[in-house]
Amino acid sequence: MMLEQQADQPVPRPLRASLWLHLRYCPYCNRYAKQTVQIAEWVRASAAARAAAGPFLSDAAKERMSARLAAGA
Amino acid sequence: MNPATPAPAQWPDRYGDELYRFALSRVSDSDVAEELVQETFLSGLGGLVTFRAEASERTWLFVILRRKIIDYYRQQARVTHVGLDEISDSGPTEADFFTPENGHWTGQQAPASWLNADAALEQQELHDILRRCQERLPAQHGAVFALRFVEELPAEEICQALGLSSANYWVIVHRAKLQLRRCLEKYGMGKN
Repeated sequence: MMLEQQADQPVPRPLRASLWLHLRYCPYCNRYAKQTVQIAEWVRASAAARAAAGPFLSDAAKERMSARLAAGA
Repeated sequence: MNPATPAPAQWPDRYGDELYRFALSRVSDSDVAEELVQETFLSGLGGLVTFRAEASERTWLFVILRRKIIDYYRQQARVTHVGLDEISDSGPTEADFFTPENGHWTGQQAPASWLNADAALEQQELHDILRRCQERLPAQHGAVFALRFVEELPAEEICQALGLSSANYWVIVHRAKLQLRRCLEKYGMGKN
């Protein structure tokens, strides 16, 4: 959990040092730390890719919305 | 007509596709995405007096849509709101991943290497798997995760939006990541 906190807010120096030490000697935690950063990057990239090249709003929906807007909702 | 004057009736044709894709990149349900776009337009229409010509119409509508999406996450999280003491009911807990005696990873859950993760999966496949894994998160975990890592809101704002204590927030972020990582491995990550 300290990994998440460290990414979001300043963590006291002794805690940061102890986390660094732990990550240095625990290969699984080290791997986990890198993977969670990677997951966050992938999720962001994935959302951006979907926003850039997804499907279109149907013509029917556009017409319905335009009519509501033209009528002042 | 002055080019800076908003033309609401033309919004669906001008910005509908872009806004819809953006909404759909955040919520997986196309009906919900359509509803969010419609609500954005209607809120825009209702708030025309607040429109400042120095911002573009497009930017202004995107700001409204982002707020709608945050509201949507808030509603989703509320549906399955759980307190810290009940959190174990809504998904795996640390006990599923770590041995209670020494806090080390249990053999089955120890993170596998993702050394060739980028090469292991096609980009589209990776996106699909990520989306499926995100959808499997309990609603509150999914909302916190999306607000933190997709919308990139600060912790404080997320806690405020979802009515979470900071202790509760950290537990949820931690568990959401543990679950996502495990789900990705189930779909083949680390088995290359």
